[in-house]
Amino acid sequence: MYPFKNIMMAIFLLLSVRSQSQVKNDSTENIKIYGNCSMCKDNIEHAGNEKNVAVVIWDKNTKMASVTYDSKKTNTDQILKRIALAGYDNSSFLAPQSSYDKLPDCCKYVRELKKAEPKSEMVSTSHKVHNEAAQEGPFQRIYDAYFALNDAFIQSDTEAVAAKAKAFLDAVSAVKMESLSEQEHTIWMKVNSVLTAHSGAIATAKGIDKQRESFKGLSKNLYELLKTAKGATPVYYQYCPMADANWLSKENTIKNPYYGSQMLSCGKTVETIP
Amino acid sequence: MKSIYILLLIAVTATAQKVVRYDLYVRDTLVNFTGTQKRAIAVNGQIPMPTLTFTEGDIAEIYVHNEMDEETSLHWHGLFLPNKEDGVPYLTQMPIKPHTVYKYTFPIIQHGTHWYHSHSGLQEQIGMYGSFIINKKTDDPTFRKGIDDLPTVPVILSEWTDMKPHNIHRLLHNASDWFAIKKGTTQSYGEAIRQGHFFTKVVNEWKRMNAMDVSDVYYDRFLMNGKNESQLSQFKGGDKVRLRISNGGASSNFWLTYAGGKITVVANDGNDVEPVEVDRLLIAVSETYDVVVKIPADQTAYEFLATPEDRTKSASLYVGSGIKQLVEPLPKLKYFEGMKMMNGMMKMNGDLDDMGMSMSLNQMDMNVVMYPEITGETVKKANSSHENHTKEGALQYNSNALSDIVTLNYSMLKSTIKTTLLKDAPVKELRFELTGNMNRYVWSLDNKVVSETDKILIKKGENVRIVLYNGSMMRHPMHLHGHDFRLINDQGDYAPLKNVVDIMPMETDTIEFTANAEGDWFFHCHILYHMMSGMGRIFSYENQKSNPEIPNPKAAQRKLFADDRMFHFMAENDFATNGNDGEAMYQNTRWSIGTEWRLGYTDMHGYETETHIGRYIGKMQWLMPFIGFDWRYRKMEMGEYEKNLFGQTNTKNERAVFSAGVNYTLPMLIVAQAEVFTDGNFRFQLERMDIPLSKRLRMNLMWNTDKEYMAGLKYIIGKNFGLTTHYDSDMGVGFGLNLNY
Repeated sequence: MYPFKNIMMAIFLLLSVRSQSQVKNDSTENIKIYGNCSMCKDNIEHAGNEKNVAVVIWDKNTKMASVTYDSKKTNTDQILKRIALAGYDNSSFLAPQSSYDKLPDCCKYVRELKKAEPKSEMVSTSHKVHNEAAQEGPFQRIYDAYFALNDAFIQSDTEAVAAKAKAFLDAVSAVKMESLSEQEHTIWMKVNSVLTAHSGAIATAKGIDKQRESFKGLSKNLYELLKTAKGATPVYYQYCPMADANWLSKENTIKNPYYGSQMLSCGKTVETIP
Repeated sequence: MKSIYILLLIAVTATAQKVVRYDLYVRDTLVNFTGTQKRAIAVNGQIPMPTLTFTEGDIAEIYVHNEMDEETSLHWHGLFLPNKEDGVPYLTQMPIKPHTVYKYTFPIIQHGTHWYHSHSGLQEQIGMYGSFIINKKTDDPTFRKGIDDLPTVPVILSEWTDMKPHNIHRLLHNASDWFAIKKGTTQSYGEAIRQGHFFTKVVNEWKRMNAMDVSDVYYDRFLMNGKNESQLSQFKGGDKVRLRISNGGASSNFWLTYAGGKITVVANDGNDVEPVEVDRLLIAVSETYDVVVKIPADQTAYEFLATPEDRTKSASLYVGSGIKQLVEPLPKLKYFEGMKMMNGMMKMNGDLDDMGMSMSLNQMDMNVVMYPEITGETVKKANSSHENHTKEGALQYNSNALSDIVTLNYSMLKSTIKTTLLKDAPVKELRFELTGNMNRYVWSLDNKVVSETDKILIKKGENVRIVLYNGSMMRHPMHLHGHDFRLINDQGDYAPLKNVVDIMPMETDTIEFTANAEGDWFFHCHILYHMMSGMGRIFSYENQKSNPEIPNPKAAQRKLFADDRMFHFMAENDFATNGNDGEAMYQNTRWSIGTEWRLGYTDMHGYETETHIGRYIGKMQWLMPFIGFDWRYRKMEMGEYEKNLFGQTNTKNERAVFSAGVNYTLPMLIVAQAEVFTDGNFRFQLERMDIPLSKRLRMNLMWNTDKEYMAGLKYIIGKNFGLTTHYDSDMGVGFGLNLNY
């Protein structure tokens, strides 16, 4: 069986050969469309063509497309929009960044038409916070390891969860008792062994469900620790009614580690630890 | 666009208590949105209706010149005004008669983004909606620098269908799946099997659910300010623009996304909220949102995209001048995932089971499993050749990588002012469950439609608190006339003020307001076809003065109630080689009058009709007791007679009998029918119609104790016709053409 796409491609190629006679009320324009290779040619023509209405023939050397269309049924903007949505900038439209990113590597062309936008503040600040955070507090490494583990749970990736749980275990054993204040020492004595036990259990457990079960206890004890020894950034204590369990997150937006993609936004923030 | 600025200028320089007059000429018109001319209603020659702009403190004088041959009315959505100006025909005024002029006048005592629309019949669907903008005075203490002084553009969203609204309404009530076919969302057994969801589909039908709907109607075009695509080329890179968005759609919620980055929400339903940045928001039917968008780079226009919730099509507004930067279109919904989720939450009695989650305020979108942008694309069975070239396979299913999306929900809305009600006022608490079923398109509160209930009396000065629970399977934007209410969320004293609350299935929301405006005020679901089906209530102040606009309240009420009492007609006939099969039905909220017939071409094959008049019982309307009349003639060989399973005989030669019986919908949507006839005969029958095998192929099965049985296939070609083949124990094999209305 031939893949459906190949058949379609063949049909479109056939169509494009016999094009001129197929389109009624035709008018033709030559338009520049950015792209690189013969694969781009397929994609551009596939996106632009419409049976009996529009035929696009793109030349990879000149980057020019001859666009023939039924002027009673469509216009160049409609055709070019479809091509841009497939990832190819042209004289009228810029492709969405996500569509461009999805292009095969050989198709990635230089986006001359796209004007530079000032970098969004979000990205730069979050990096800064990250660097600063690494400097502060005796437990910061543990917190960071926890958030990494939490992310792995959100993605429901069993192997990543095991790996991150090991990293968490390392962070726990790396805590230097002598550098702790009295208050920190007391709470650390209380939760130390529990954190070790739970993260060890996550690292060795078979299957995401069992890992999640241990994560509940881990989260609860880490919350105790965080209440006493605050981290560098605000932390949100969140609750999932379905799992009847809490977790900690660096952002207020809900991303549920107990259900992942099944119920990603299910849950609520119950406390903000500044 | 220029005229907006001129109006804006006038409004800004206006002094207090200025009279602002508008003349609106309402005319029948022909429009062409899709290539065919269709009837619509234009006001001052345009669709949408003109934007009306005022400044707080003005007095509005609006003259409506009804130049049509039908009645009309205009409702000022979200406005505080005297009850007689509210524009609900037969409730606050008599309809504006054809070829007459009617004057609305009221003081403008608030500010914000509002809109106006016809409240008569289904006129809103075909053009009668427009923006209604009230600017703050420049010396207003709540004036927000950097927000209220931005250039503003009113944007009204709507949808267009070539089908007559009356016909849409009729098809919805007859559970036609034509809209699903047009949308490509039939959710048939064939599609289920292909996507590995056969079991999901079986459970779904076992629980007596039809295919899942996200919105009810299929539309040909979606529009922003009356156009599918338009550009605001007066703005350049670095500018900020405030879009004053109203959803004037009759039944579509819209997702709003922007190619130039985050969207900042600054007001909702005409009331300021603390600015909140989001990646996208859903604007429910009749809500208004003010959003600020930035134009990041020069010589580029950024697409502001409105996608209806069912994601069939979209409308675009390009903000800026130059080359157009597109935003990624929202991917197609994964219906079977949604169906699977619904299965898990549906009890056998038709109630929803929220499994202990207390849901409210749009925070947990139970449809989230249907969103590919969050949960990844549907897995395709055959790998396309492209995937070998890219390594996105894993990424594509990585929900986290794809879901760094902030979606607005009601708990993020925080008023800029304290909104607490008077502390020592008496409190009246009301509870409503939003109820309904898709099968017969009945929508109600506590299983009662408007005409089945009395007005709800409230006292001036008391605080009214309403707890709403949505026990139905659709979202409902509930709108209160004449008042803003506080939507209780976790913002405490700063709970946002709204006049529409969109409630998703299984959610509970609490709203409260001070009863401070005498009159009869409509409280209803703003989805046009839900409202017309009777989903609403009327709040009435105790001991109020009578409304001079309603000279005969009793007669007016009868007219008002006529909307949800309306009967809907449907008929179909199968012209087959072996005979004619058909039925006609006339139904409303509770009653059904139906006739079936089977007409052979010879006396040997016979002729028969059965008529049933029944009343549907219960919330889900699975039970229908009926009385009937049966007539049949069939020429048989001398001495031949038929015997049923119970040994009762039946000659079928000239039989005319009355009957009584009951229909009950069993799991798998099988209708069981038990019927006893005046000649003492008894019949039990099982029937399942319209089993969706593929997008357009349907199967019918029937068997009864008279030893009659039938199996048939129908291939749906158009809205009103299809090809059929069936085998019938009386008439044998036949091929034919099905016509329906």
